[in-house]
Amino acid sequence: MQTQNPSTPSMSVTTSALSVPVLAVHDLWKSYKTPVKGDRNHRTPVVQGVSFNLHRGEVLGLLGPNGAGKTTTVGMLYGAVLPDRGTVQLSGLPVQNRNRMARMHLGVVTQDDNLDPDFNVFDNLIHFAHHYGITGKAARKRAGEILAQVNLENVAKYRIDRLSGGMRRRLALGRALINHPKVIFLDEPTTGLDPDARQDFWKLITELKREGCGILLTTHYMDEAQRLCDRLLLLQQGQVIDEGTPNELILRIVGHEVVELEDVAPDTLEELTRNANTWYRPFGTGYIIALPNPHPETLWHILTDLKSSRIARRRANLEDVFIRLTGSLLS
Amino acid sequence: MKAVMKAISKFLFALKMTLWGTYSVWRRHAKVYQRSFLFNCIPPLFEPIIYLVAFGFGLSPLIREVSYLGNNIPYLNFIAPAMIGIGLLFQSFFEGAYGSFVRLAYVKTWQTMLTAPLNFTEVFMGEWFWAATKGMIVGTLTGIAAIALGLYTPLNLLISLPIMLLSSLLFAALGVVTASLVNQVDQVNIPIFLVIVPMTTFCGTYFPRDNLPFFLRPIANTLPLAAIVDLLRWPLGLPSYWWIGLLWIIVLLILVSSLAARLIYPKVIR
Repeated sequence: MQTQNPSTPSMSVTTSALSVPVLAVHDLWKSYKTPVKGDRNHRTPVVQGVSFNLHRGEVLGLLGPNGAGKTTTVGMLYGAVLPDRGTVQLSGLPVQNRNRMARMHLGVVTQDDNLDPDFNVFDNLIHFAHHYGITGKAARKRAGEILAQVNLENVAKYRIDRLSGGMRRRLALGRALINHPKVIFLDEPTTGLDPDARQDFWKLITELKREGCGILLTTHYMDEAQRLCDRLLLLQQGQVIDEGTPNELILRIVGHEVVELEDVAPDTLEELTRNANTWYRPFGTGYIIALPNPHPETLWHILTDLKSSRIARRRANLEDVFIRLTGSLLS
Repeated sequence: MKAVMKAISKFLFALKMTLWGTYSVWRRHAKVYQRSFLFNCIPPLFEPIIYLVAFGFGLSPLIREVSYLGNNIPYLNFIAPAMIGIGLLFQSFFEGAYGSFVRLAYVKTWQTMLTAPLNFTEVFMGEWFWAATKGMIVGTLTGIAAIALGLYTPLNLLISLPIMLLSSLLFAALGVVTASLVNQVDQVNIPIFLVIVPMTTFCGTYFPRDNLPFFLRPIANTLPLAAIVDLLRWPLGLPSYWWIGLLWIIVLLILVSSLAARLIYPKVIR
């Protein structure tokens, strides 16, 4: 297999990158003690030197397979995980030292379904607002606004166990919005939701972005990342392996188009891709081959002449980026 | 001078915020409890009454009086203060152990609160104080039942409140230690059978500890419920070493609550 290195991350400068970031993360490291035979102090690194900035009105995606360190990274951003090294600043406030002040401006939707089952929908918001010092009439007013925003007004008196999965996630997002946060962390917020529920959730994220919230989204759904994120950080084994806008990453790492095909000898593909100065990777039961740009037709015609049991030409996507970089599918 | 004033105002601000945060966590649990207040109150109120009536009718004709600190005391008057101790022990321990564990491992209330502007100390203190509050509620209700049966006076109960508070805090902390050590909810039964049940039976609750064989006596005397029951029986007289018992409870309270905070911290902050 061809081992051509993907191009290195570009230092893309966007308009927002020139403004002051609302969240500045610098060189985060985290490892956990995992004793092994002969080394009781052995530590396994989970996050290794992650740095990034997030600006107002920007959706930044942390994209990576399970175990890539996404949740640990998010945990370090709001203080649930203590970093071994590195700093996190929210509007200039160091999150580690000024945790309470920082969290006043943060909204967090964790991966777990952690709504309070002892309260109904409305009371979930009221009691959470109390932690921010929002009480009485102000809390009820804010809860009403949020229920309208996340379209849950009709179920305000429902117990949590009566809500659908999509409603629960919308309520979790609503709860995170209780104090008008500047930054929202969404840790795999749509995992397990049906397509309609995901669309509803996406709408809310787009509205929040429009209102100027900085949003950090972790996901392993490619369509979600491609649709919502202005910028992506690709994580593997706790390291940022590449970053850029979704289109930029696709174009730079994969190209415009790819071909999926089956039942072709890898030696043949090796030779073809070397000659065309492109690459291939195993993909499911077959292979994926990037078509060169310019002149994709030459290789395409050669591939169609091969006796493949299945061949399909399509636009490159983020999934292909991951296959190229890591040799495996994201999910 | 300015620096001192600044430090004081910073401290007061931190204290104010911490008190608010702790109260906010405590309030969440109180609101849940309040929603089913009657349902929550009836069992602990009836339990001591059942015990007192059962022992009163069942054992009093056999025992009649108990020799305590050189005086002969009616059996029901002897066990009534112990019922207060047992009531607050069970409630505060169970809330600290089962309640905290369920909120930590299943409902994730601890973790959720830490996404709000609350710190670990506030969440821990709120949980701990709530477990102690449940102990106080049951202890007080048991005291009221004892008053209704003419076995304790309102003044007795009022003066016993501080010792009840210390005891509730201690057993609540012991519960939180348990919550931090177990991996499954069933494992909470282990300390119940190894520590709590022996404590309720051997610590001079249903009979004087002097009746125990000599090798069991030091163990029974060391368990905290022994000192607590001795102190709650103050209307019947106090042993000469009562202050050692009080000191022992305070020392244990400091040690166990520090241990609880230390053990549960890595469960919520990784």
